Amino acid sequence: MAARRKPGEARLLVLGVVFAIAWVGIGFRLVRVQGFESEEPKTRGELQRVRHEDLSAPRGTIFDRDGVELAVSIDAVTVTVNPSELGKPRALARLLAPKVGVPRSVLRDRFTKPGSQFAYVARRLEGSAAQEIRDFVEEREIAGVYFGTEPKRIYPAGELASQVVGFVRDDDMVGLEGLELKYDEVLAGVPGHQIVERDPYGNPIPQGEFILEPAQPGADLITTIDREIEYAVQQILERALNETNADSGTVVVLEVGTGEVVAMATAPSFDPNAFAQADPTTFRNRAVADVYEPGSTLKVVTIAAALEEGVVAARTTMKVPGKLEIGDKEYTDVDHRITERMTVAEIVARSSNIGTILIQDLVGNRRHHQYLSAFGLGRVASGDLPAEAPGRLEHFSDWCDTTCGPSTAIGYRVDVTPLQMAAVFAAIANDGVWVEPHVVREVISSDGARQPYEPTERAVISERTARTMRRLLKGVVESGTGWRAAAPSFTVGGKTGTTEKFVPGEGYSEEDRIASFIGIAPIDDPRIVVAVVLDSPHGETEDESDLRFGGVSAAPVFAEVAEAALHRMGVPPDVR
Amino acid sequence: MTAQPVTAESFDLVELLPSRRNPAQLRPWVVFAVVVVVAFFALILSRVWLDRSGFELDELEQKIGFEEARLRDLQLELARLQSPERITAVATANGLVYPQERIAIEVPGIDFERLDPDFRWAQLKVVLTAQP
Repeated sequence: MAARRKPGEARLLVLGVVFAIAWVGIGFRLVRVQGFESEEPKTRGELQRVRHEDLSAPRGTIFDRDGVELAVSIDAVTVTVNPSELGKPRALARLLAPKVGVPRSVLRDRFTKPGSQFAYVARRLEGSAAQEIRDFVEEREIAGVYFGTEPKRIYPAGELASQVVGFVRDDDMVGLEGLELKYDEVLAGVPGHQIVERDPYGNPIPQGEFILEPAQPGADLITTIDREIEYAVQQILERALNETNADSGTVVVLEVGTGEVVAMATAPSFDPNAFAQADPTTFRNRAVADVYEPGSTLKVVTIAAALEEGVVAARTTMKVPGKLEIGDKEYTDVDHRITERMTVAEIVARSSNIGTILIQDLVGNRRHHQYLSAFGLGRVASGDLPAEAPGRLEHFSDWCDTTCGPSTAIGYRVDVTPLQMAAVFAAIANDGVWVEPHVVREVISSDGARQPYEPTERAVISERTARTMRRLLKGVVESGTGWRAAAPSFTVGGKTGTTEKFVPGEGYSEEDRIASFIGIAPIDDPRIVVAVVLDSPHGETEDESDLRFGGVSAAPVFAEVAEAALHRMGVPPDVR
Repeated sequence: MTAQPVTAESFDLVELLPSRRNPAQLRPWVVFAVVVVVAFFALILSRVWLDRSGFELDELEQKIGFEEARLRDLQLELARLQSPERITAVATANGLVYPQERIAIEVPGIDFERLDPDFRWAQLKVVLTAQP
């Protein structure tokens, strides 16, 4: 007979079985969750804690030649709200509106939009403005207002060299114009990435997962621009536009020997900090993007070729008729209508078209083309500016037998940019060696490695021919068409240029002219070349001279620019 | 060696321990237990210290970021203050004008062949200092 169980034992047994089943269930669930379904809760947990964050690379800075910032990036503050968390959205809109410069009604609409959980209050605020709002929000303990950072590109010098520096698109900091566009990849750097575990407040969890792939900051650009000379040039150019009623104008200042662009100004200009409000036509860097027929300033190439080839000398005398008919075209000079005997020096000083055509005839089309090409015409002058036009120089085999050579000799049928022409004169100033003009002096990468720009150079004419040319150009200012280019403190030389403006579809304009003057200063010990080009100047000076001529409108601009630039560069005056 | 009297309170312990071991034999076990406990607390303390350092590090990184941003702001402010446009406006407001005439003065003892203006200024200062 089996022993009778005590009454509590049965209950204990039941309880034990229940517990055993429960433990088996828990164990089963544990094995299932840990073993077979572990990925899903693990992923869910990671999603809550582990964050994959992109790290934006700071964009490089653009400096002038003295290391002063022309374009700089900062971490600007963006203020946002979560409307669903706002206690009194209308009152907040009223209080914030004057602080962020946004109409109250606009903010109110954003804050009261049904179902909205995100709205901008203000984007890309700078330090003090952002701090004011932060203090305001913290003082009143307003919930639902958040502060984040966004990169912002700032141009501290405003309109200064704006066409050279360019600007970036606000949203993604991609370069749209100027150096910002040309060097976009270099300036932008490489974005980084980090994987980090954060707590619910966004703080990194110590000992948590942390994988950092740091962003590589963009490289800095050191330009050749001298900010003070650039400012002086811009002021002089804007004043000249007002006085000559020109549509636009551009000035290039090149340093002789190095090819460095010391100043490059175009007027009208714009402020890159507010480019969205500016006239898009002002974005164009006319010094490199606009082409024009250079007119008499190109005669220096014709004369230099003739001197170099030995077909004439500076003192060679020629019989220059009052007019010249070639094919169906009649060539004339401005200041004489009868046949005169002129030396080559006088032909240059008086800018005689007919005399230059006669000299070109001695040189011949083939050799003339050779020199035009060697001086850099027909191809891009510099490699570091965007939208640079190569201009137009037809191969001599395509030149017609009649007017092509003569017209080219006096600066027609050839399209050039102001920078190309400045480089031509710089070669004459540099004893015949053409140096590639450039705006970027060096690129400094984020690790400090310096990469200087090495311009190409080539001998175009001999030192002797270059010296003779400088003497002839000096004569243009001392006793020729360029007398208004004389600077008070420095002896200078240069060449005037006036061409009828070619209007596409209409032909040459009766009224509009491109007036230019390109010169060297000081002419006896050259330091700079200044090219001034004015588009369609109109009217007369006080002494009733026609402002449409380069010698009247552009030459005085050259004198002012040369004087200001040389003083700034510390060049001692050579006129006592 | 004398046996310890067994009390009622220590009965359970005595039951669990090997009956014939004396305290000297137990010492290594006690030391081991103490070491384990100390190590455990040391580990906890080190984790706490490490976590605190992590927070401090994070705080310092934030501070560095803040100071770097401040540096950039100040550099920007400096560039704006140096803007020729601003300086001209302030100068004009204060009645300054550009000189209508520039006068060049040749000072004996200064090398005018050197084009560096800073060098010439330095020479000029030397000349002026040497004046009686």
